[in-house]
Amino acid sequence: MAAPMFHENVPHIQAKFYTSQQQLLIIFTVGRCQVSQMRDLLMYVPEASESQHVAFDFLVDGEFLRNSLQLHMESKGISTETVLNIEYVERHPAPEPEDSLVHDDWVAAVEAMQDYILTGCYDNTVRVWNSEGKLLITIPGHGAAVKCVAWIRNDEENPVKQFVTGSHDETALLWQWNQEKNSVDCVHSCHGHAGSVDCVAVDPSSTRFCSGSWDKMLKIWSAVSGVDDQDSEDVGEKPHKRKKTDGNKIPARVPLMTLSGHQEGISSALWLSDTEICTASWDHTIRIWDVEQGMHKSTLMGTKVYFDISLSPINNLLVAASADRHIRLYDPRTTDGAVVKVTFTSHTAWVSSIQWSTTHEHQFISGSYDGVMKLWDKRSAKAPLYDMQGHEEKILAVDWSVPQYMLSGGADNSLKIFKYTDKSVEGMH
Amino acid sequence: MWSKGKGKKRSLTQINDNSDEVDLFSKLTTKDKDDSDMEGGSSSDSTDSEESEYSGLEDEEDDSSEPESFEEMCDSGEEEGSDVVGTSDNDNEKMRNDVQKFKKNLANEKAKHDGENSVQMKVKKKAGSIKRKSGETVNGKEEAASTSTEVTVNVPDEYEYDSSDEEDLRNTVGNIPMEWYREYEHIGYNLEGKKIIKPPTGDELDNFLNKMDNPDYWRTVVDKTTGQKVVLSEKDCEIIKRFRQGKYIDSKFDPYEPWIDFFTYEKMQHPVTNRPADKRSFVPSKWERIKVSRMVHAIKMGWMKPQQEKRKEEDQPKFYMLWNNDEQVNIGLTISDITRKYRSHIPAPKLQLPGHEESYNPPPEYLLTEEEELAWKNKDPEDRRLNFLPKTYSSLRQVPGYNELIKERFERCLDLYLCPRKQKLRMNVDPEDLLPKLPKPKDLQPFPTTQSIVSTFIEQLSHSYGLKVYKGHDNIVRCISVESNGQWIVSGSDDQTLKFWEVATGRCMKTLPVGGVVKSVAWNPNSMLCLVAATVGNDVIIINPGLGDKLVLSNTDNLIESYVPTEAKDTAKVQWEKYSGEEEEKGFRLKITHFKAVGHVTWHGRGDYMAVVVPGGESKSVVIHQLSRRRSQNPFSKSKGLVQCVLFHPSRPFFFVATQRYVRVYNLLKQELTKKLLTNVKWVSSMAVHPGGDNLIIGSYDCRLSWFDLDLSTKPYQTLRHHKKAIRQVCYHKKYPLFASSSDDGTVIICHGRVYNDLLQNPLIVPVKVLRGHTIENSIGVLASEFHPTQPWIFSSGADHTIRLFT
Repeated sequence: MAAPMFHENVPHIQAKFYTSQQQLLIIFTVGRCQVSQMRDLLMYVPEASESQHVAFDFLVDGEFLRNSLQLHMESKGISTETVLNIEYVERHPAPEPEDSLVHDDWVAAVEAMQDYILTGCYDNTVRVWNSEGKLLITIPGHGAAVKCVAWIRNDEENPVKQFVTGSHDETALLWQWNQEKNSVDCVHSCHGHAGSVDCVAVDPSSTRFCSGSWDKMLKIWSAVSGVDDQDSEDVGEKPHKRKKTDGNKIPARVPLMTLSGHQEGISSALWLSDTEICTASWDHTIRIWDVEQGMHKSTLMGTKVYFDISLSPINNLLVAASADRHIRLYDPRTTDGAVVKVTFTSHTAWVSSIQWSTTHEHQFISGSYDGVMKLWDKRSAKAPLYDMQGHEEKILAVDWSVPQYMLSGGADNSLKIFKYTDKSVEGMH
Repeated sequence: MWSKGKGKKRSLTQINDNSDEVDLFSKLTTKDKDDSDMEGGSSSDSTDSEESEYSGLEDEEDDSSEPESFEEMCDSGEEEGSDVVGTSDNDNEKMRNDVQKFKKNLANEKAKHDGENSVQMKVKKKAGSIKRKSGETVNGKEEAASTSTEVTVNVPDEYEYDSSDEEDLRNTVGNIPMEWYREYEHIGYNLEGKKIIKPPTGDELDNFLNKMDNPDYWRTVVDKTTGQKVVLSEKDCEIIKRFRQGKYIDSKFDPYEPWIDFFTYEKMQHPVTNRPADKRSFVPSKWERIKVSRMVHAIKMGWMKPQQEKRKEEDQPKFYMLWNNDEQVNIGLTISDITRKYRSHIPAPKLQLPGHEESYNPPPEYLLTEEEELAWKNKDPEDRRLNFLPKTYSSLRQVPGYNELIKERFERCLDLYLCPRKQKLRMNVDPEDLLPKLPKPKDLQPFPTTQSIVSTFIEQLSHSYGLKVYKGHDNIVRCISVESNGQWIVSGSDDQTLKFWEVATGRCMKTLPVGGVVKSVAWNPNSMLCLVAATVGNDVIIINPGLGDKLVLSNTDNLIESYVPTEAKDTAKVQWEKYSGEEEEKGFRLKITHFKAVGHVTWHGRGDYMAVVVPGGESKSVVIHQLSRRRSQNPFSKSKGLVQCVLFHPSRPFFFVATQRYVRVYNLLKQELTKKLLTNVKWVSSMAVHPGGDNLIIGSYDCRLSWFDLDLSTKPYQTLRHHKKAIRQVCYHKKYPLFASSSDDGTVIICHGRVYNDLLQNPLIVPVKVLRGHTIENSIGVLASEFHPTQPWIFSSGADHTIRLFT
């Protein structure tokens, strides 16, 4: 197509457009055209080329174009003489607020699996919701506020689901929830921590989980429930009777391994692989532990208290939320050099929680004490893709385990669900 | 001698006789004529010049000193010399004219002239001897006598003809160009006033014949004044000849006679006296010996140092800086530095040189325009750039007198009078340089910079289970205390509650109503105990908040339960009481009731002892409680003042007691006063001790924060006055080199306070951050602040009912 004629007195550039999304591939060239009009021009292109309206985002040298091309080139110092390679991708649709699930107290932890949402609350209960926003069960079992929850994903077909919860009462509880009967059993009670259990993480094989605590310890427990548990006592054979009401009879479990090394409480933990755990702590470090050898492998030194870390299953990068406004991107495989690869800054208060997308290579969400959940693209450090507002108070936990739902729980006693449809992902899979 | 002189004179006169026609002589000096007049004996003996000459001779005679007379002789010699050269051409003629008149005196006259001439000749030859001289003087005497006789005879005639001493009296026209008489047949007038008729001049033929016939024609000249022809004598011709050849006129004069050196130029030395030399001149001096021996002794003892020999400067070529100005040259090499220091020359202030504006005809650009002139006139004289108005004149002549001259001279004199005599060494110091070099706050990170969590009075409603309220305080929050691990903090407020908060989320975990205003609250520093002490009214309440490790909680409860009453009597009037029932469920454990309202409470580092201030307790204003034994004691028997707060040393058995103006440090083991710190403030409000234990800060109500180095001095090492209002609390960070002060001006100021292990290095104190956020209510700002034990965070609470966390 011919380039439209524009005024002559503004800088002109040459640009080359390409895309990695095959279904959007359009072959066209744009001659020298006016920089300030470039964005407008680009908006016309799809309309002209396709009957269906598609919105685009543009990347210049792997960075999102957030303002006009001219400003971007000025800020980056790109000469107008060079031919600009602009990648275009289909614009992600905005997440839509779908539901708000009201709790009795602050929602401190949330995780979704399939159609079910597990939340931990400051009123000492764990709740299971379905994706329609219906409260399936409220489980009182902990003696203090529930700080963390995690599903154990083993068999999707099995109606009996398992999950782990950690609490201020220094225990982690292993639960079995029968989906069909909607009944819940506390399978094991994991005692051993001397401080509040602030994070739990289940390993990829779903046989173990680890828990990090304020007492600076990282403990690894067996996640295999019930009968085959060698440590359980005489009451081990009757799992259906182990109700939350008779907490004394819940079989206690001792940790498989205790890893010490952090100077302060552990705030977040995750499994890098079957044998490696990554933990973030209040002592300003992120440590990687070798589970098989039972020792700590490497340390990333930071300058702020870490609240949460998340690992992308696709690109194996680590993002960390810390006690300041910034989100930092790390590569856990490198230990030297400039540790922080990218700093994402847009929040105005502490970032409490963070989670990578499980399906999108570049995207992650973060929740902050400023009450805003943000959807980020790795390639856009200065501004997030979308701000999701709705919370009136601090956000304490976010979750994006299920690609369609972004969940955030906060200090306004509610869990917000945002529906997210990722067309590109759908198309690719 | 006489004969000789006479002979000479004669010959001279002869010459004169023949030299009438020579114009050369007429051109010679007028003096000659005068002399010749006198010589001619024309009664001119007593003319002034003659008189003076004689008197000079007479003086010479009187004077005994030789050189003077010699000079005189030289003088007169010169005169006479000229006389000799130009001896008057008409001696004989005069005589002829006046011979009858002066017949009587002729002989005397002649004698006189002879004497004179002889003297003159002698002197001129410079070979005159003293002997001759004496003869001459004798002659002079005679002469004087003769002249006196002559005067008596000739008095009436003297002035008749001798009115001028320069004229040739044969023709009275005077010294005029004779051409004036060319038209006339006479050539002038003689003394009688008769015309002197020009002698007849022959025509060409006569001249020619004359020339041919007259053998003396070549030496015949015409006297201009008389027109007579004069034939020059042989002598005259000789003189002229010698004269033309540049020789001495007198052929007998020998200029190269041997020089007799009467007065030698060489300096001669002669001993003044002929006395033999004294003994002391060759015997060494006794006194010198004593002096030298003293000096030697002093050098031996090291009191004096022998002067080092100065290097000879002659060896080194002397240079001087060509381009230095005068002062530098003067000072530079000759005067040593020390003398320069004391008498450095200050040149007088120089006047500014006049410029173009001062010119009488300045270039037009220097002339003021009318506006400028007006502005100049309106200005004060002191402010004017120029003290005059440049004006233009066509010539220097027209420049009027300068009426400011006197004033300006006076001012110049004043300037000179008042100009400095001494160089004042002014300290030219940049004030910035005097400030200590402090590191930038940026380099001292981490420290709290931003407000992160605010706990405010917000009611939160829950839906399903009715009302649950988690809120902040709704009154002044007086005190806060952080748990030793930093997971929880407790706050006490005027709303009569204690609240426990989770640090990470800012969640209020627990609210305990205590039934009174909480004055002070302190979390037990022992991490194995979970206890909070709070002062409410007369009581100190000890609470187990039930937060944290269960094991610790049960341990704590066990410790309290395990108390076994003993018989020991308490010195303090306090009562220990244990809570039970519902209150125990809530967490209340013990209550210590005092006889008066209690204020500040603080724990000992191990967590067993607790010190309480009873502000109105006089001598019992400090009470120390022991938790395990439930004992209390008054450590002090006497009141030292109004106790503000107390503190335990973090590691050693010291106890700090702050009264209004002093901080006393007691050794608890020895039970004695170790140190008394002079705070220099009006009213101490709070104090905090560095975790190392060697440094102490105090805050005061008069806005000052003082840092004491306990090893250094009892006076403040540094005093910071950053706050505008009273400081309410100061605190140290346990791990980071930070301290903070919270004030009624609503700010918390964070300072970097690094203490070095090296005792010689003073602590480094740098204010790094002012934290704002609290609002001032009833002129109360921030009441309490405390650092997080492990993170560079600070909690503060204030009159605006909030607790804030700055990170």
